[in-house]
Amino acid sequence: MQMVSPVGRSSKTRITEWVQHYGVGYAFILPALAVYLFFVAYPFAESIYYSLTDWNGAQPVKHFVGLANYARLLSDHLLWQSLGHNLVWIIMGTISPIAIGLFLGVLLWSGARGMVVFRTVYFLPVILAEVVVAIIWNWIYHPLMGALNQLLRLIGLGSLARGWLGNPTTALPALIVAAIWAYYGFCFVVIMAGLQNVSLELVEAATIDGANAWQRFVHVIIPELRHVLTMITTLTMMGGFSVFGIVFVMTQGGPGTATQVIATYTYRKAFQENSIGYGAALSMVMTVLSLVSSYVFIRLRERGE
Amino acid sequence: MAMTAQRIRGVRRRRPARYWVFKFFQYGALIFFALLCIIPLFWIVSTAFKTTAEVAANPLGPPPELHWQNFVQAWVQGRFGKYLRNSIYVSVPIVLGVLGLACLAGYSFARFKLPGGNIIFYVFLLGLMVPFQSIMIPLFYILKDIGFLGTYWAMIMPSIALGLPFSIFFLRAFFLALPWELADAALIDGCDEVGVFWKVMLPLAGPGISSLAVFQFMGAWNSFLLPLIYMQKEELRPLVLGLMFFRNQYTQNYPLTMAGATIVMLPIVVVYVIFQRKFIQGLTAGAIKG
Repeated sequence: MQMVSPVGRSSKTRITEWVQHYGVGYAFILPALAVYLFFVAYPFAESIYYSLTDWNGAQPVKHFVGLANYARLLSDHLLWQSLGHNLVWIIMGTISPIAIGLFLGVLLWSGARGMVVFRTVYFLPVILAEVVVAIIWNWIYHPLMGALNQLLRLIGLGSLARGWLGNPTTALPALIVAAIWAYYGFCFVVIMAGLQNVSLELVEAATIDGANAWQRFVHVIIPELRHVLTMITTLTMMGGFSVFGIVFVMTQGGPGTATQVIATYTYRKAFQENSIGYGAALSMVMTVLSLVSSYVFIRLRERGE
Repeated sequence: MAMTAQRIRGVRRRRPARYWVFKFFQYGALIFFALLCIIPLFWIVSTAFKTTAEVAANPLGPPPELHWQNFVQAWVQGRFGKYLRNSIYVSVPIVLGVLGLACLAGYSFARFKLPGGNIIFYVFLLGLMVPFQSIMIPLFYILKDIGFLGTYWAMIMPSIALGLPFSIFFLRAFFLALPWELADAALIDGCDEVGVFWKVMLPLAGPGISSLAVFQFMGAWNSFLLPLIYMQKEELRPLVLGLMFFRNQYTQNYPLTMAGATIVMLPIVVVYVIFQRKFIQGLTAGAIKG
């Protein structure tokens, strides 16, 4: 599979062969590396530097303040509140779409027709832009004309009807439901791909041993899917830390700070309040959280292969 | 759940009542979740065809008659034609840029055991773990300093750079799985390394490249935070961003907002339904192997 190594023969052909093999190799990497270093690595280093200053974006000189921004993070009530919302988002937004995807996947796998149609339909919301998802769900949650309140009134639960996004206790769950709607099709497709590899002999053996449907599901199918499930869990967690668009368009983090998450809070600090230094420190918090969860993801992916 | 018994025992001639109860719940649940995906989209499109008064009278039902003027008004006042062009002008270069650079680099990592190659590969992998938010603030000032801010390049170049780590990771794995005897045979036949890449191996990677193209295209097309920060100028806005400002401008005019949303959503939905297999393959490329 790999190259014939450029050894042997005269030194002149050796050099030309070296250029042939390695020269081409480096030349192929160079353009990508240059673009990547300038537009990702360099700003990343700058981000660390910014986070050690109290720059406001306008001063000609960036004033070095050491770890002051990081000290401020610890006592920033709004940051901890935002992180709490991310945590709720990650827990609800990971468990529910995976559970729905698993449920639908197993239902289809147990011999239903129309696989292609169901898959196409379930995946449809996944391709929509966040702004479109936000407009759809803003409409569903509309206090007067929204489908949710209309439905509640229709089935005689009109007393439960409310402005879902205007109420601090319901706003965050309402956003998460919208996010789940836009995501469970993705979980379904990935789980379905995993189900194709579940060995039918194993399931059959369990049936002969007297396992009922639920036992087969828990003791045979779930363990067979464990790689797929861990992978999709970490992938969803990574997304849960950086969620932005749906919150920004639907509630702007409001009412008050009831739906503020770390990404919208960072955006507000850096681009609306011009606290560049502090915003950079906030973005470092996101970096660390993302590094940890994606490190886990990559290790799991390598192990699964 | 997990009623695989029928499949395993084979089809029986006379099915017990339990079977039909199961089938009822099976299809009931499958159809329920399918409707959950479709009906909200139907509301968007149907609202777009109503007048404001009709929406207030009957917000959820089908439109009594088709009023096309919302679409005309949205298209003209919302400048969606302009935003559509902007989306194309940035998405196409992003996809081509990412694919071009990542094919070269991914191939190189798979083909040559370069001294230091592993270290460079890990540097790229590190980028897989860094969210856009960790670089968005300084990148704004860098783009400003090099004069990209206020041009399409402000979105194109960062998006290419951010798309590279995953694409290289993905393509390297794809190239590694190809039959390399063909490359060696071509070398013996007098082909040089560039020729081996271009004429032999790259065509073999077609399926992987097209999946990646879909992935990158959808990422660029639906990208939101990046243009929100770097494409603030009205005449640069891509569709998604244009839609958000349009909605903020006509908050109370629901039919008009929905007409805008339909214009943004419909082309992608149509293309998706036609090429659903490729779309699903591409968008799950990171989570499903190969």
